[in-house]
Amino acid sequence: MNLLATIVDVTAPSGPIDLAWSAFAPELVLSATVMILLLLLVAGRMRALVAGVCGVGVLVVGVLLTVLGDGAGVALDAAGAVVESNGIQGDPFLGGVLVALGIAIVAIPVGLAGTPRLIGPWIAGAGTAAALALTVWQLGTVLFSPGGLATPLVTAGGSVALDGIAVLTRLTVLVTLVLVIPMGYGYLRDRNIARAEVEPLLLLSAVGMMALGAANDMITMFIALEILSIALYVLAGIARRDRRSQEAALKYFVMGAVASAILLYGVALLYVATGTLDLPTMALRLQLAGTPVAISAIGMGLVTVGVGFKIAAVPFHLWTPDVYQGAPTNITAFMAAGTKAAGFALVLRLYLLTFAPLSDLWVPLVAVAAAATMLYGAVAAIVQHDVKRILAYSSVAHAGYALIGVVAGGDAGVSSTLWYLLTYAVSTLAAFGVVIAIERQRRGEVTLSTLRGLGRTSPILAGVLSVALLSLAGIPPTAGFAGKLAVFQAGVGAGFEWLVLLGVLSSVIAAFFYLRVIGAMFLEEPVEGAVELLPSDGLSLSLTLAAAAVGVLGILPETVLDFATRASQIAQ
Amino acid sequence: MSFDFLDITSYNLLLLVVALPLLGATLIGLITQDTRSARTVAIGTSVLTFIVSVAIAVQFDVSNPSIQLVQVLPWISSIGATFSLGVDGISLVLVLLTTLITPLVLISSWDVSDRPRGYLAAFLALEATVLGVFLATDLLAFYVFFEASLIPMYMIIGIWGGANRRYAAVKFFLYTLFGGLLMLVAILSLYALTATSGAGSFAYSSVLALDIPVETQRWLFLAFFVAFAVKVPIFPVHTWLPDAHTEAPTGGSVFLAAILLKMGGFGLLRYCLPLFPEATQEFVPWILALSVIGVLYGAVVALVQKDIKKLIAYSSVSHMGFVVLGTFALNATATSAAVVQMVNHGLSTGALFLLIGFLYERRHTRMIADFGGLAKSVPVMAGLWLLVSMSSLALPGLNGFVGEFPILLGTYQAAPWAGVLSAFGAVLAALYLLWAYQRMFHGPLLTDDNRNTPDLHAREIGVLAPLVVLIVAIGVFPKPLFDTVEPSVARVLSEAGVAAAPAAVGDTAQSE
Repeated sequence: MNLLATIVDVTAPSGPIDLAWSAFAPELVLSATVMILLLLLVAGRMRALVAGVCGVGVLVVGVLLTVLGDGAGVALDAAGAVVESNGIQGDPFLGGVLVALGIAIVAIPVGLAGTPRLIGPWIAGAGTAAALALTVWQLGTVLFSPGGLATPLVTAGGSVALDGIAVLTRLTVLVTLVLVIPMGYGYLRDRNIARAEVEPLLLLSAVGMMALGAANDMITMFIALEILSIALYVLAGIARRDRRSQEAALKYFVMGAVASAILLYGVALLYVATGTLDLPTMALRLQLAGTPVAISAIGMGLVTVGVGFKIAAVPFHLWTPDVYQGAPTNITAFMAAGTKAAGFALVLRLYLLTFAPLSDLWVPLVAVAAAATMLYGAVAAIVQHDVKRILAYSSVAHAGYALIGVVAGGDAGVSSTLWYLLTYAVSTLAAFGVVIAIERQRRGEVTLSTLRGLGRTSPILAGVLSVALLSLAGIPPTAGFAGKLAVFQAGVGAGFEWLVLLGVLSSVIAAFFYLRVIGAMFLEEPVEGAVELLPSDGLSLSLTLAAAAVGVLGILPETVLDFATRASQIAQ
Repeated sequence: MSFDFLDITSYNLLLLVVALPLLGATLIGLITQDTRSARTVAIGTSVLTFIVSVAIAVQFDVSNPSIQLVQVLPWISSIGATFSLGVDGISLVLVLLTTLITPLVLISSWDVSDRPRGYLAAFLALEATVLGVFLATDLLAFYVFFEASLIPMYMIIGIWGGANRRYAAVKFFLYTLFGGLLMLVAILSLYALTATSGAGSFAYSSVLALDIPVETQRWLFLAFFVAFAVKVPIFPVHTWLPDAHTEAPTGGSVFLAAILLKMGGFGLLRYCLPLFPEATQEFVPWILALSVIGVLYGAVVALVQKDIKKLIAYSSVSHMGFVVLGTFALNATATSAAVVQMVNHGLSTGALFLLIGFLYERRHTRMIADFGGLAKSVPVMAGLWLLVSMSSLALPGLNGFVGEFPILLGTYQAAPWAGVLSAFGAVLAALYLLWAYQRMFHGPLLTDDNRNTPDLHAREIGVLAPLVVLIVAIGVFPKPLFDTVEPSVARVLSEAGVAAAPAAVGDTAQSE
C-alpha cells in the first residue's frame, strides 16, 4: 500500500482528493448494478427482498441528488471528504436516472416472479440503460457546454479524464452492451450455458472498457485493462463442455496474460525514464532533454505489444480467429465491438498524448502496422469458411483501418477513429446477431454452406446480415461507409495518401469475401430441408436496433458524427 | 414573383425524381404480397418517375449552359457535405433516357418467376441510384450514389442471371468498387484542397473553383479516370462487361448497356474534363489511343462471337469507345455528338438486348448457329431487329448516324490518325451486325425449332415501340437533342480550357 502510494503520489497534492463523481457516473452505476446482480445471485429465495433493499438504496441516492442538487456535492465537500469541481455532479438529471433505476430494480423481480432466470438480464439491461442515459447526459454537458472541451476535465487526482475519448468510448461500449445482453440470453439458454454469472461479468468487463477510455494514468489504465480482460477470459470459456470454448478461453488467457505482463514491463520502463505514471505529465517529461530516449522508446515498444494484442493489430493478432470462433457468439460480438473500442481509446490517448513527443519513432511503425493489419486481415479472410472466423479476420482488418485515424493524428484523427469504432461496433454486432440466430436453430457452426440459400428461406435475416456485411465492406449508404470515409479523410488530410490507397486495396479484397457470404445466401439454392429461421424476441430487438443504427449512421450521420467531431480534444 | 414559384416547384421535382423509385422499391418490400400488385406498384412508380422527369425537362431552360434547378439540402454539415441536386443539358438527356428505359425494362420482365418482387424492387433501387449519379452536384453525394448502384446490380446479375452468374456479379462488383474507391481517395484529396482555403466542402462548384497544380491534377485525373473507365468501359478494363452482359437477365443487360455505362461517360464530362483541364489535355493522346484500340478490338472480337448476346456486349465496348473518342476530341462537334451517341447507344443496344431476351425466352439458346431463316417464322421480330441493327451500325436516317458521324468528323479534326482508324470500327460494325442478322434470320428454315418460333406478341412490341420511334425520330430530326446538350457541352469545354465560355442566358440559378 505504501509502495503504491509512493509511486502514484509523486505529484499528487496532500489533503482531500479532487473527486468529481459525475465524471465516472456511468461506471459507478454499472458497478453498482454488478454488485446488485451478484447479491441477487446468492440471495436465492430472498431475491425479492434483496432487490427491494438495493433498489430503495439506489432510489434514495437518486432522490438525495435530485433534491439537494449541487448541495450534495457541497455537503460532501463540507465533510472534508472531497472537493467539488466544475459543479456538474449535483445535477437533477443524474438523480432522476438513479430514481428510475431504483424503481426498475425493485419492480423487475416482482414483475418477473414467474421466470426468475430473466431477472438478471433485465436488471443488467436496466443498469446499462441508466449508464447509457448518463453517458448521453455527459455528451451533452461535456461536448456541448459553452466552450466545449476547451478545458477537458481531469479528476480523481488526475487519474480519470472526462474528455471526448472517454465519453465516446462509453457510448460505444454501452451501445454494444445494450445490444449484446438481449442478443445473448436465449442463445446461452439454448446451448445450456445460461449461467447467472454472464450478465455481471459482461457488465464488469464493460466497466473495465469504459474505465480504460477514461484512464489518465498508467495504474488506472492497467487496472482497467485487467478488469476488462479477466472478465472476458471467464466469459470466453463459459461453455464449459465445449472444447473450442475451453481452448479459446485458455488461449486468450495465456496470451492475454503475457501481453499484460509485457505491457506492465513497458510501464515500468517508462516510469524509470520519466518518473511519473500520469499520462499528460509523462508527455511533458518525454519532451525534456534529460529524459533517456532509449529507455522511453523500449518502454513504448513494450506497451505497444500489450496494446496491439488488445486491438488485434498485426503482428499481435494471432489469437483472434481461434478465440472469436471458440467463444460463445454473443461473447465474441461483445469482444469484437467493445474491446476494440476500449483498446483504441487507450491507443489514442497513449500515442496522441503521451507518446506524441516520440512521434518520429512510432508514426512510421504504426503506419506500417496499419497497412499490414488491413491487408493481412483481408487476405487471410478470403480462404475461411467459418463465418465467425471470417468476422474475426474482418475484425483484424478493421483494426488496421482504425489505425489510419491514429496515424493521421490531430483532431481529425481522434474524432474519425472514435467515429469509426462506433460504426464498426454496430455493423459487427448486427453480423454476429444473425450468426447467433442461425446457430440457435441449426446448432453447430455457421459456415458458408450452412448459409446457402438463406436469402430464400429467411430473407429478413439474410437481408440484415447482408446490410451488416456491406457496412463492414464500407459500401455506401451504410454506417461502415461513413466510418471509412472519416478515417480515409483524416488520412488524406494528414498526407498519408499511400496508407489510404493501401486501405482502398484492402477494401476491395475484403469486399470479395463479404460478397462470398452474401453470394452464398442469395445466389445459391437452399440446402435440402432448410427451415425458416426466426430470431427470438430479445434477438429480434437487438437485430432491429443494430440494423437501424447501421442505416441511420450511414444515411444521416450528422448528429453522432457531430459528437465525434467535438470529441477530438484530449484531456491534458 | 412568378419565377420564385417556378423555382420552388422545380426544386421539389429533382428530389422527387430520385425519391420516387426508392419509395416504390420500399413499398414493394413492405406492402405488396403478390407479384401482381408488386408489378403494378413498380410499373406505376416508374411511369410516374418518367412523367416527373418530363416535367423537369419542361422546366429546364435549354439555352442556359449552367447547372439548373439546383436544390441544396443539409446533409453532413460537419464535413461540408450537402445533399445537393442539379441538372444540366447532359444530365437531362441521360435522366430522360433512364426514366424511359426503366418502365420498359420492368414491363419486359413480366414473366420473371423467381422472386419477382425482389427483382422489381432491385430495378427501382437501381434507377434511384443512377438518377442520383446524374443529378448530384455534391461530390460525396455523387460517390454515394455511384457506389450504391453496385448493390442492386450485383443482386440483379447474381440472383436472376445465367449459369455463371456468381462469377460475373462478383467481377462486376469488384472492378467497379476498385475504380470507385480510387475516386473516393481523389474526392477526399479535393476536399483537403478546398479545406486549405476556408471550410472544406464537397460541393461541385467549390471544387470547380479550385486552382489545382498540374502535378496534383495528374494523379487526381487518373483516379477519376480509372473509376469512369471501368464503368464505360474503356480498353483494357472492359473485361467485366462481356461477362456481366452475358450472365445478366434481359432486363439487367438492357439497363447495363443503356444506362449504367453512361455513368462513366457522364462522369468523364462532368468531373474529369472540367476539374482537371491541364491534365486532361496532357492525357488526350493516350486516351484517344485507348479508345481507338477499344473501338477496333471490340469490333473484331464481336465479329468472331458465337453467342449473339456476347456479340452485342463486345459491340458495346466498340460503341462506347466512340463515345470516349468524341469526349476527348475536345471540340464542340465531337463532344456534343458523344453525348448524343450515349443516348443513341442506350436506345439501340437496349433494344437489341430486349430482342435477344425475347428470342432467348422462346428458344433458350443464344448461339447464332442454332438459328437460321427466322425471317420467315418471326417477320416482325426480324424487321425490328434489322432496323435496330441499322441504327447501331449508323445507317444515315437513323439515330446512330447523327451521333457517330460528327464524332468521326470531330475526332479527325482533333487527331486525324484517330479519326481514320476508328472509322474502320464503323465498317466492322456493319460487318458483324449484318453478318449476325444474316446468319440468324436469312437462309433456309432447317429445324423445327426455327420453324415453330412464335413471333413477338403485343406487349413485347409495345415495349420496343418507344425505342423504335425514338431511333427513327432522332435519326430524322436530331436538332432538339443537340440543342439540349450543346450549351452544356460548350460549358464543359470552356471549363476544360479548350473553348471560350458560353454566354450565360436567363436568370436561372447557377450551381450554388
